Amino acid sequence: MEMYSRDYLLVYINGRRHTVRGADCWLTLSTFLRTNLGLVGTKIVCSEGDCGSCTVLVGAPAGNEFQYCSIDSCIAFMFQLDGKHVVTVEGLSDPDQLSPVQQSLIDCHGSQCGFCTPGFAMAMTGMLENGPCSTEADWRAGLTGNLCRCTGYIQIFEAGIDTNASELQKLNDRFPPEQMLRDFGSEARSRIRIEAEVFGKPGFLSSPTTVAQAIDFLDRHPTAKVVAGATDIGVQTNKRGTAPNVVLDLNRIAELQYARVTGESDARTLVAGARATWYDLERLCNDELPEFARIISKFGGAQIRHIGTLGGNIINASPIADSLPFLFVMEAELELTSVNSTRTVPITEFYRGYKQLDLRPGELLTRVSVSLPTSKQDLGLYKVSRRRDLDIATFTAAILIELDGDRITEACIALGAVAPTVIRATDTEAFLRGQEFNEATMRSAGDLAVREISPISDVRGAADYRLQLTRNVFLKFYHEQQTSPELVSSHA
Amino acid sequence: MPSVGQPIPHDSAAGHVTGRAHYIDDLPLRSDELHVGFVGSPVAYGKIEKIDFASAKQISGVVGIFTADDIPGEKKFGIHYRDEPVLAEGEVLYVGQPVIVIAAESAEALSQARRAVKIDVQPAKPILSIEEAILQQKFLGEPRQIRRGDPQAAIASALHKLSGVFQCGGQEQFYLESHAAIVYPAEEGQLIVHSSTQHTTEIQVVVAEALGLRQHQVVCMCKRMGGGFGGKETQAAIPAILAALVAHKTGRAARIIYDKDQDMISTGKRHAYRFEWEVGFDNDGRILGMKTNQYSNAGASADLSMAVLERSMLHAENSYYIPDIVINGRLCFTNFPSNTAFRGFGGPQAMAAMENVIHSIAAHLDLDPLQVQQRNLYGTDDRNITPYGQVYIRNHLPEIVSNLEESSNYKVRRREIITQNQQDALRLRGIALSPVKFGISFTTKFLNYANALVNVYTDGTVQVSTGATEMGQGVNTKIRQLVADEFGISWDRVLLMPTSTEKNNNTSATAASASTDLNGAAAVDACRKIKQRLIEFAASRFALVELGLAESPQHVVFADGWVFDSRQPEQHIEFGPLCKLARLDRIDLGARGFFATPGVDFNRETGQGTPFFYFTQGAAVAEVEIDRFTGELSVPRVDLLIDIGRSINPSVDRGQIIGGCIQGMGWVTAECLVYNEKGELLSHSPTTYKIPATTDVPRIFNCEFFDNDDNVENIRRSKAVGEPPLMHAIAVWGAAKQALASIGVGGDLKIPATGEEILRCLTPAAACALPQFSDNGQPAGQTAKSQPSKAMKP
Repeated sequence: MEMYSRDYLLVYINGRRHTVRGADCWLTLSTFLRTNLGLVGTKIVCSEGDCGSCTVLVGAPAGNEFQYCSIDSCIAFMFQLDGKHVVTVEGLSDPDQLSPVQQSLIDCHGSQCGFCTPGFAMAMTGMLENGPCSTEADWRAGLTGNLCRCTGYIQIFEAGIDTNASELQKLNDRFPPEQMLRDFGSEARSRIRIEAEVFGKPGFLSSPTTVAQAIDFLDRHPTAKVVAGATDIGVQTNKRGTAPNVVLDLNRIAELQYARVTGESDARTLVAGARATWYDLERLCNDELPEFARIISKFGGAQIRHIGTLGGNIINASPIADSLPFLFVMEAELELTSVNSTRTVPITEFYRGYKQLDLRPGELLTRVSVSLPTSKQDLGLYKVSRRRDLDIATFTAAILIELDGDRITEACIALGAVAPTVIRATDTEAFLRGQEFNEATMRSAGDLAVREISPISDVRGAADYRLQLTRNVFLKFYHEQQTSPELVSSHA
Repeated sequence: MPSVGQPIPHDSAAGHVTGRAHYIDDLPLRSDELHVGFVGSPVAYGKIEKIDFASAKQISGVVGIFTADDIPGEKKFGIHYRDEPVLAEGEVLYVGQPVIVIAAESAEALSQARRAVKIDVQPAKPILSIEEAILQQKFLGEPRQIRRGDPQAAIASALHKLSGVFQCGGQEQFYLESHAAIVYPAEEGQLIVHSSTQHTTEIQVVVAEALGLRQHQVVCMCKRMGGGFGGKETQAAIPAILAALVAHKTGRAARIIYDKDQDMISTGKRHAYRFEWEVGFDNDGRILGMKTNQYSNAGASADLSMAVLERSMLHAENSYYIPDIVINGRLCFTNFPSNTAFRGFGGPQAMAAMENVIHSIAAHLDLDPLQVQQRNLYGTDDRNITPYGQVYIRNHLPEIVSNLEESSNYKVRRREIITQNQQDALRLRGIALSPVKFGISFTTKFLNYANALVNVYTDGTVQVSTGATEMGQGVNTKIRQLVADEFGISWDRVLLMPTSTEKNNNTSATAASASTDLNGAAAVDACRKIKQRLIEFAASRFALVELGLAESPQHVVFADGWVFDSRQPEQHIEFGPLCKLARLDRIDLGARGFFATPGVDFNRETGQGTPFFYFTQGAAVAEVEIDRFTGELSVPRVDLLIDIGRSINPSVDRGQIIGGCIQGMGWVTAECLVYNEKGELLSHSPTTYKIPATTDVPRIFNCEFFDNDDNVENIRRSKAVGEPPLMHAIAVWGAAKQALASIGVGGDLKIPATGEEILRCLTPAAACALPQFSDNGQPAGQTAKSQPSKAMKP
């Protein structure tokens, strides 16, 4: 049966209906807001998701209301937003009645030059939409995606603490969802196919609702750019001035967005769809695997974690991807689906070279499964960056060892940012097996590991710095194992 | 109730939180408006062979392309020396230097055209470090010196001597709103320039000069900036001139908006410095003599570098009395964008260098650095004359330092930390104090001046215009408070208007922390003129011949919105109705006010004078924690005590203090300008240049004001607060140094103390020799290799 297909996107912005057509579908949300709609309260600073000034809230239908979260509008394409309700700073309050967040920012002197302020007001509102935030620690951790150069943040934290959340009108009350949901519902199953001239080339966009439709499109357009969170493609588009013209957008495929842990105790497996976001995974891992949750918490700011996906991190194939060392030591398996076959590839064999993948034309990453460490295993995950949060790694590592008394029975070591791909340090692993777990062993392991890598010097650090970090991470792991967990984590 | 002293909100706060406060790029696009951009030099130094824009010109929507040849007036500008090209002519001097301007109908056409331009340059070997400039003797301006006594002899006869080199990197201002300007052509060849600038007059003048216009043909306006921090003091000139050139040539509105990468690549930053020092001291660590050579990385033109260097030299001794001292200063020419003003203006580098000397002395004598600091602090009655001859009066530093030592529990914590460092396998901690004495006034005398225009309307509301520009620092809010108090009305009756050269001519930059001092005093002067007229008018109306109450201006009082004769307060009139009656009586309710700082002067030839009206002083104690294996640093606690006199607005001032200190913390820890060996900036956006984020802020930040009302000469006994807090962050660097010193390393710790720099110090030399990146003035010769592959890109 030929399904109804449409050549426009349906998006609500501050409660108003917008149909977006043609090349406008390739615009970033911030450009659409500022240029097409004149909503200039949303500010642009970096155009790369690294400052949060352009933060808006995006509501996705969830039951009979919308679930809102913050994103960076400068690196989100309009085509990702079909069926969503976007709230900008202009939608936060009425002219004569500020929201409690806004009022507190004024009362607590949370703004100085004001350029970052709309972004903070949005991010803070988003945090209160998704649960209580009462302490300074909550605000500190929740606002890592927003930079302010003037205030030093403390008066912004105070504004957060001062906000009377009970007076905050929830966005589902402010923007009654029924009519918007009905409107979206009537268009929910229709295929979206848009053709337009994009950056001087013919552009073609498909936004299907099922995996079957997606792989069918990929089969016919094997060179299409597959887009989920777009947190990297958005940056490339802004910085290079060209967008992918043939696009397969996964944002409407609900069956790709899930994350769960199956099995119990020592036989647990984390299974996630390719479009599981870092936010989904962080919430799951807070209980199931705190060590991984700690690394995820440093994955961009909240705005990035709300939209960035596990699949995107894997397919983007960066040697400094935050998630990969963990997936490498746990030997995650990737499910690749095409119209002809479904196959499973261990992640350790997936990368053939810098940004070269064992991914055949027409194949789509659909699922990731990874077993979780057993009670006999100790896992250490490391991300070293110039700044603790909202930074790209200078160095990453994962160390997994299994002990029998003092004896190492199994060791898996993955290192990132020291070679064209994340690598397993197999010689070091072989050395460690059977050794006694002590400082001397780990020092030797570090000396061995540096022979397995080939770091370069770049803006994030010199090659020698990376070599030294590689040496040291083994000692750090050892000493952390000798220290009580509370003392270790108090540092983080 | 008087407004001054109240924590009233920032005057644009409601606009900020709702997004209704507009910045340049938020102004609606006019139907005839052109998008303007430039193409910068691809190399750091060389001769321009050819600028090929033929294919760019063919792109649909491109309206005009201009080069230096098209500039009708002065092709160079500069506040002190006219040496900076608007557009490169003949040669290029740094990567990203504007070479060609393009005007197009749309942002897309502009972007395409920019990519289509090809600039061929015959590259020459650039100078990319201070050391290389010294080697080649490439300097800007003349050498400068401040000297007292015979330091050579004092050092020679001292019991202990130390010498060394101290280096600190530059810092990007990272205002969130990048450079921006819109120019509207007007009648009679006039131009209306909207610029994100700290100095409207300078923009007016440079635009007029570049276009061959007379100054009265150009109006420059600035409603607000999305941050400035010094980066828009002089450097707003090029974008404004480029847009003005397009408007002038095409007769159409022209808008130029830099993106963050362009902004960071093509504009100047805080100067990197190299300090060569030599010090002699006694067994107690008391300094007897010091010599210091200050070399700054000025970039490719002078800009404000000489004034910045002058402030470095005037802060070389930080807060310490040094009997015999010589300070030499030199500006190094390098092939980088001209370095410029940034909060602190040369003070931070010099004061950090002095603290480095203090830490070195402490390490040498095995003393707590605080002891060395306290033994050398300026005295209150003697040992209180600066090397440049100004008597340091109202010195509260000894009291501030000992109060802070007490309130921060410094001694106990230091002992605990030293013990714990012997036991903790994972981390090192450190604690340090640093004092700050920062001179307030422009060291260039004629800049210490301001005028103001105050208009009172017949409903009793007031508009105030000054030359001060609002960049978030709250100058408008403070002037609002000052003016409200003059008329005895509530602050919401006073509005600060956009800064414009039409209302305030021949202004000084909003800089040097002194904008409220200068412009606030000028506004108060204007208010008093109006008030005097109102007093005389009111006195005549309050006089009651039948009751024997003679006309008495000195008994007229303005308070709480009312005006009355204090002899019969029940006969009062509201301020608004009084203004209306005065207007009907043909009384002028507008006035210009003026202020020039009295008594400041400095002789550059002799290096002697009284350059400062007063000093803002304070101290901070910082504690850091360092990961022994990665070098990563965090700052769990800062205690700060600062004397800012009587605060006009304690919440605004607290924001300046915390914000400034965190900004300084960025400079001393994480903000790293990385260049490759071609002089290309690799860290040109927030992905790679890391200013402090929320989780970098100390979990404990105790910020206290030192109670003091002795700054009697300044407006309402307040003190300037804009820059001094930044230098309190030197304590963070000092704490890192102490953490390292506790295991006997870190003697050569640089600024910024990044994780990489700290790990270098932590790693025994034999294990790994870490070459350093060239960091805009860090050692020459060893620079980051240009990337052999894209392997490390995300």
